[in-house]
Amino acid sequence: MPLIHVAGSEKFVFEERASDELCAIASKFVPLHTVDAAAELAIDPLTYEVIRHRLSAITDDMGDALKRMSGSVVVTDCNDFNAAIADEAGDLILVGQYNMQLAASLDMAIKWTLEHRSENPGLRPGDMFFCNDPWIGGGLHQNDASVFAPLFYDGELFAWSGAVCHQVDLGGVSPGSWSVAGTDVFWESTPVPPVKIVENGTLRPDIEDMYLRRSRVPKLIALDLRAKLGANNVAQQRLTQLIDKYGPRVVKAVMKKMMHDAEHRLRSKLRSLPDGTWGAVAHQDGARAGDSNIYKIVLQMTKHGDKLTFDFTGTDAQVEGFVNCTFAGVRGGIMPIILTMLCNDIPWAPGGIYRCVEIISERGTINNCTFPAGIGKASVASAWATQNAVSECVAQMVGTHPQHRKAAMSCCQGTWDLALLAGVDQRGAPFVTMLCDPMAGGLGARVDQDGVDTGGQMPIPMGRIADVEINEFSFPMLYLWRREEMDSGGPGRYRGGLGGSSCFVPHDSPLHGVHLVVSAPGKALPLAPGLAGGYPSATSYDVLMRGTNVQQMLAQGFIPGDLDEIDGRHEVLPSHVETNMAANDVYFTHWQGGGGYGDPLRRDPHEVALDVASFRVSPRAASDVYGVMLKTDGTPDAGATEARRRDLRRDRIGAGAA
Amino acid sequence: MPYVIGVDTGGTFTDGFVADHLGRIASAKSPSTPPEFAVGALNVIDELAKSLGVTTRNFLHDTSYIVHGTTSTLNALVTGDVCKVGFLTTKGHADSISIMNAEGRYAGLDPDQIQNMSRTNKPPPLVPRALVAEINERIDYKGAEIVRLDENEVRAATRHLMSQGVEAIAVSFLWSFRNPTHELRAREIIAEESPSIYIALSSEISPRIREFARSATTIVNTQIAPRLRGYLIPLENELRNRGFEGALLVMQGSGGCVKAREAPRHAVSTLGSVLTGGIVGCTNLGVALGHKNIISTDMGGTTFLVGLVVDGKPVSSTSTVINQYTISTSMVDVHTIGAGGGAIAWIDQGGNLRVGPKSAGARPGPACYGAGGGQPTVTDADLALGIINPDNFLGGRMKLSVELARDALERHVARPLGMKVDDAAAAVYAIQNAQTADLVRKVVVNSGRDPRDFVVFSFGGAGPVHCANYAADLGASGVVVPLGATAAVFSAYGLASSDIVLTVERSQPDNFPPEPARVKQAFAKLDEELKAQLQEQALPFASVAFEREVDMRFTMQLAEVTTPVAPGPIDKDAVANVGKTFEAAYASLYGKDAGFRDAGMQIITYRMRARARLPIHPELPHFEHGDRRVKPKNMRRAFLDVRRGWQDTAVYDYRDLGRDDRLVGPAVVETPTTTVALPEGCTATLDQLGNMVIRYADAI
Repeated sequence: MPLIHVAGSEKFVFEERASDELCAIASKFVPLHTVDAAAELAIDPLTYEVIRHRLSAITDDMGDALKRMSGSVVVTDCNDFNAAIADEAGDLILVGQYNMQLAASLDMAIKWTLEHRSENPGLRPGDMFFCNDPWIGGGLHQNDASVFAPLFYDGELFAWSGAVCHQVDLGGVSPGSWSVAGTDVFWESTPVPPVKIVENGTLRPDIEDMYLRRSRVPKLIALDLRAKLGANNVAQQRLTQLIDKYGPRVVKAVMKKMMHDAEHRLRSKLRSLPDGTWGAVAHQDGARAGDSNIYKIVLQMTKHGDKLTFDFTGTDAQVEGFVNCTFAGVRGGIMPIILTMLCNDIPWAPGGIYRCVEIISERGTINNCTFPAGIGKASVASAWATQNAVSECVAQMVGTHPQHRKAAMSCCQGTWDLALLAGVDQRGAPFVTMLCDPMAGGLGARVDQDGVDTGGQMPIPMGRIADVEINEFSFPMLYLWRREEMDSGGPGRYRGGLGGSSCFVPHDSPLHGVHLVVSAPGKALPLAPGLAGGYPSATSYDVLMRGTNVQQMLAQGFIPGDLDEIDGRHEVLPSHVETNMAANDVYFTHWQGGGGYGDPLRRDPHEVALDVASFRVSPRAASDVYGVMLKTDGTPDAGATEARRRDLRRDRIGAGAA
Repeated sequence: MPYVIGVDTGGTFTDGFVADHLGRIASAKSPSTPPEFAVGALNVIDELAKSLGVTTRNFLHDTSYIVHGTTSTLNALVTGDVCKVGFLTTKGHADSISIMNAEGRYAGLDPDQIQNMSRTNKPPPLVPRALVAEINERIDYKGAEIVRLDENEVRAATRHLMSQGVEAIAVSFLWSFRNPTHELRAREIIAEESPSIYIALSSEISPRIREFARSATTIVNTQIAPRLRGYLIPLENELRNRGFEGALLVMQGSGGCVKAREAPRHAVSTLGSVLTGGIVGCTNLGVALGHKNIISTDMGGTTFLVGLVVDGKPVSSTSTVINQYTISTSMVDVHTIGAGGGAIAWIDQGGNLRVGPKSAGARPGPACYGAGGGQPTVTDADLALGIINPDNFLGGRMKLSVELARDALERHVARPLGMKVDDAAAAVYAIQNAQTADLVRKVVVNSGRDPRDFVVFSFGGAGPVHCANYAADLGASGVVVPLGATAAVFSAYGLASSDIVLTVERSQPDNFPPEPARVKQAFAKLDEELKAQLQEQALPFASVAFEREVDMRFTMQLAEVTTPVAPGPIDKDAVANVGKTFEAAYASLYGKDAGFRDAGMQIITYRMRARARLPIHPELPHFEHGDRRVKPKNMRRAFLDVRRGWQDTAVYDYRDLGRDDRLVGPAVVETPTTTVALPEGCTATLDQLGNMVIRYADAI
């Protein structure tokens, strides 16, 4: 069925409003604590620094609480979560150093709640709200479930705290809520707009039950819900103590100043950069299972004075599938790049940073879709692709500055290579998990050095993967290998970081197999482009081998080191597929590295020789891409290299130029 | 043989402390002598003998034990002076130590560094890829053999590694802690090929789930063990030459010591050796003073160390981060939370005043040292504020320049911010105090505890200047500044008063509740191992106490909570009680109703510990000051509290204080080793051991 506009869905949209206007709406129903500009001027450097430090410590404590209390490997071992503090108007003062996409959308949900929930059911002390509706915010797809809480002081709404993490399953057609065959949101987990889940300090069982009922793993979801309540409790207690000590006027003034500080510093950095427009086009192959079309996101980024405009005009229309993202996804694609490449030395106060940014995006496009477009994979589909385009533009812009260029990276890991396993675990319990191994993606090359191999990914400064033993203990699987993959980093004068691969078989499940959902674009074309003449990283590559002899090989004392060594039917997987894996099936997933920087023909031949010796670059790539010829002892042959590079340059301009 | 000696080798000084069975004590300090640290250790023993008025030979002859805190393993890692190691691991997993779970790019970095993402890197590889050999073998999560060990491959790999000149070999196979047979057999084969080479197995060094940390720990252990052996054996031989017949013991990071000859087997456990003395000192002094919950703060010139004592025991963690590698070893939790007195004050791009984390170090040090350090530091602010007496630094051994301090503050803080120098100094002082409180609070809260339940112990040269401020901010119930007999050599005192502590553990993930027989068997095996290790120490113990514990969590959690297992037989009820204890501990850490039993629970690790007490335990002498009422030696203007500003401040000499004196702030107490600041609202008294106890009327 084609995407038909759903009358009545207009309400569930985040409307950008000036904070004053929003406060005027909400303050009819709830008293808001505000301060005037004089309060901010009165703050001395000492008080500012002390309170700033404490607010940052409180955000850290929230993250620690989430991590300690959560029950999901995605959160505990892979850091797919975040926490934040916002002022009374929902402007973010601080975000943690975990998933920046998640924190970049929390303010939207808080602002929507201020506008639509202040009157009824009302905002009162001891309340907490739950939301997983990406059109409203608080996350990029329905699996990003957020809990946020107003903080009251002396009867006034003083600030907000919020925590969000990825939940492994919230229902929908496919396990893990990644419905690869879906055409619209009704195939997916039903989005929940902000509901009061904690009232007067008590968790409401009716609301909790309504939330848990949709999941295939409700106990795990209940445990994570408590983790988010706990994180908000920590924030509320600590913030109250802080206000007790310094008074509401001072603390609020510091919060405002933190945003102004970030804004002023970003504006001054922008002023130091040349005005101009930079463009990029990011692609995705396949919007759902069976679809092999290519979709584009077009970006023109203009820097003028101290302002940055992201114009997505020309981006493809929303599609039938599950890869669209809402406006939260556009912001989630922009904010992580601004933070890491432009605010690397500026406090991460998104409330101030957004004031320097304008977003032009047409509703109904693939990265600003309307209800009921499918968004199950939004965070790692159109939002991720948006981020790739933003990364390319911002890196080019900062690349023009003699100092700021050092913050630039070529595009990191062009796509998230999703492998989701579900079924019955070795203890007989049902399970669903997202394999987070691709969290060790290759980072993009830098202007003066290679990208970090298996170093993480752009939106999560503190990303992490689980040990093989933790995955094998938790889920019915046995790894044949997990390794860095040769030639997966984009070639360049500075090489992109390597991606890696995992290869495993089902092991010890009472069902003798597992259910597998795969979703990884970047198979038809590489998605992490290089910079300044650098090449893109390798494509994603996922293979399912059916009916193999791997069990016999193991019994005979031999662990295969490559797919070529295994007998069986070789299925190269398309971007999106859902299937079952039998006991003798082998799954191989190879995620992407980072893009290169600069022309590979200008790479120091000795560096190439080192890469070949350490299995990072193949001898063939050394010769064909880097133009470096090695002697039998592995050292570069200077004469042959010079000749080879001359030939390659000649090839580039075509035979006629010879 | 009545003496017990503690020798603590620090970066700058080697400290010695001696006690005998009659309660006599003495202490000494001697410069450290890198890279030959043994020389400094022998020198300080000479000094101790001198202060007792005996010859070194007679002194050593009459010494039962020497407990040594050594920096040799940590130093080897920091300077990169480690052995060339070959590494054997399961086929398909050689890259585990370079993938580093992706966390290796940022582990151990501070938030400012992590934020600057494009400048982060992984550390150099622990073992170059060419010295890593993959072996066909495989055990699964249950300990079942999936692929048999290819013995020929182990043999060939050993020969190849030997030909590459490796000095030691580390072996870490997947799931070896569940079933070590492949690692054990690999060791036999390696030993056949090379009988004298040092070999470490991950199933012995770190028998825990999570292969990356286990492999990294085993490799680091293998890199430093031969160096530790090369340090301790000559030291012990030299002590024997000088007449020593007792036991040389080495402090471990876990807070207990082992016999020097046994130490290299688990070399990694000595990484925290030199950090631990202070916290053991706090624990034991706490026993003498009746304090069970202590925040130990050691603020020196270059570092600020924080540790915790809870219920009379040092809080330890099961892993630490060194060079961005996660190392699993039981270690007393000593956190370096930024800079000490040398922390530099600076202005960031936004025009905000910041203090630390960069430090001027010991050289050139603060501007006031006059050694060429032009940057203003916390110590410069302390001096400019009149808290430190320029003529009494280190008991007058070092002259400080107020002029240089003010000049640095003027140029780098006051002028850029348009402030007066006094105000700039006050801001630096207050920021240092507040952020110290924040960082200490983070350590306490992260361990799941409330700072208000603690007393702060403050030592190290720079600590007592700031402790009343940060302790009040934390809400701690009071401060103890150790000023008695242990003042200058507090860590060495800790060493001399320590116990032998041996720990064995096994990771055996079990869903809760496991069959009692399974639990019984796990502990029986650990008990056997532990008793064998005690036997090997060959020491006459006054007493030995055993403890059992398990690390538990709700199913699929990452964080485990260490849960004690009560003495007595293991039956169904005993197992059920362990679950109840865990749930109670969880609730006290994360709040009522935070736990979620419906998710299921798991035991991840079983652990046993033996705490063996040595026959001699140093008794600290009672304070012998008179009962006269003290008068200030003079008054000066000083700034002790940001809320009060400059005040007329009484200055006391610690040596003039009587046991009934009650000092009221604002006041400054100058001692031979440090300066204690008492802001208004504080009172200070001396306890029976001569330590200063600070209380405050109102929190800052």
